Amino acid sequence: MSVSEQDELVLNAYLDGELGPIEAARFEQRLAKEPELAAEVDARRALRDSLRSGLAEDVPSDDLRRRIMASVGGAEVHKARPWARSWSSLAASFLVGALLGGGLIFGALNDQGQQDVASQVVSAHIRALMAPQSIDVPSSDRHTVKPWFAGKLALAPKVVDLSTKGFPLVGGRIDVIGLAPVASLVYTNGKHLISVMEMPSAQPLAAPLEKHVEQGYQALTWSDGKITYWVVSDAAVEELKTFVGLFQEAAES
Amino acid sequence: MNVDDQIDQNRFAEVFLPHVDDAFRLARWISGSRADAEDIVQEASLRAFKGIRNFNGGSTRAWTLTIVRNASYSWLAKNRPSTVVLTEDLDQRAREEMERGAGDGDVPTPEAALIAKMEAEEVRNAVAALPLPFREILVLREIHDLDYRSIAEIIQVPIGTVMSRLARARKLIFATLRESAR
Repeated sequence: MSVSEQDELVLNAYLDGELGPIEAARFEQRLAKEPELAAEVDARRALRDSLRSGLAEDVPSDDLRRRIMASVGGAEVHKARPWARSWSSLAASFLVGALLGGGLIFGALNDQGQQDVASQVVSAHIRALMAPQSIDVPSSDRHTVKPWFAGKLALAPKVVDLSTKGFPLVGGRIDVIGLAPVASLVYTNGKHLISVMEMPSAQPLAAPLEKHVEQGYQALTWSDGKITYWVVSDAAVEELKTFVGLFQEAAES
Repeated sequence: MNVDDQIDQNRFAEVFLPHVDDAFRLARWISGSRADAEDIVQEASLRAFKGIRNFNGGSTRAWTLTIVRNASYSWLAKNRPSTVVLTEDLDQRAREEMERGAGDGDVPTPEAALIAKMEAEEVRNAVAALPLPFREILVLREIHDLDYRSIAEIIQVPIGTVMSRLARARKLIFATLRESAR
């Protein structure tokens, strides 16, 4: 191969998105004219795709989070609930639960438990409002937001486009609810921010919409049996219910 | 639990815990074993918790991965001292080979097609067989999707070194894959 050392570095930097726009444009002109260079870029892209293909399955066991909390002396260990597990392992425990037949793993989340989640969900929303930037991935394009989560969480959240309905997407972030990372989407409605958090359901049953009020914020929750959704905002509850209706409709289609 | 402990726990929950999967992946690629990776991440979590007050803004992910990387190296030095290679030697060799690169006499192979034909498993095995300094840089780039600056910070080398090691890592993978396709 006759790619010079300098070209080698430039093509790697190009592939990795490290070139400035002018350099990148110039390099793309070269790529169009030099098939050998283009083949080198293609090869590196294929390598990347291959390495990223098995990413979602490459997650630690349930046990690791428990061990971590135990080693930092957390009282939280005792509070650990079924949903405080990584998403993919939840699917595994679902299987085990189904096999046992007794559904032991799905201890019903009691009212106190749900209240805990409500206050954590609201806290996460408030924390995001107070932070200099309330979103980690600022984008109104769901095709940007969803893949961003895919690299960070075992299961990417449902991201729907409601911009034409008056609720444009502004981005996403990761919150920690019950010691597990959770995908949060951020939508706006006028001046109000709406956080939508998606976490694995604690029990394999759909649950109807339920309202919580915490520190002046409205939190609505429902479950489709696989995912439990939480929607938090300081917007009026009617607006929020409209949003939930639109979200559910778009998520199903 | 006193208030300070509670604050530390909350910070730990915000800074370290969201990145446990990432931490595990890095430790697994460095150590080559899932079980060892979990031990390493647990040890790293303890370090992170003790040092949580040293975290002063910036990327929580880069901070976490730096600690996990250091914990991985300590673990290797203790449990598998023979695998820790002097990176200076490798960088020197990488430079020499890059300089020779143009004349290695290979017939150009369509590597993209080669990789497309291979099982992802084979590609991963090739990465696992890379010398540690090249492996970790490729993993931080491709698996963790970090930019050059973050990688340079995590492994404490200049950006130029990140670039040359990454370029070399990719070439080494292609050489291995060509070899195994033969």
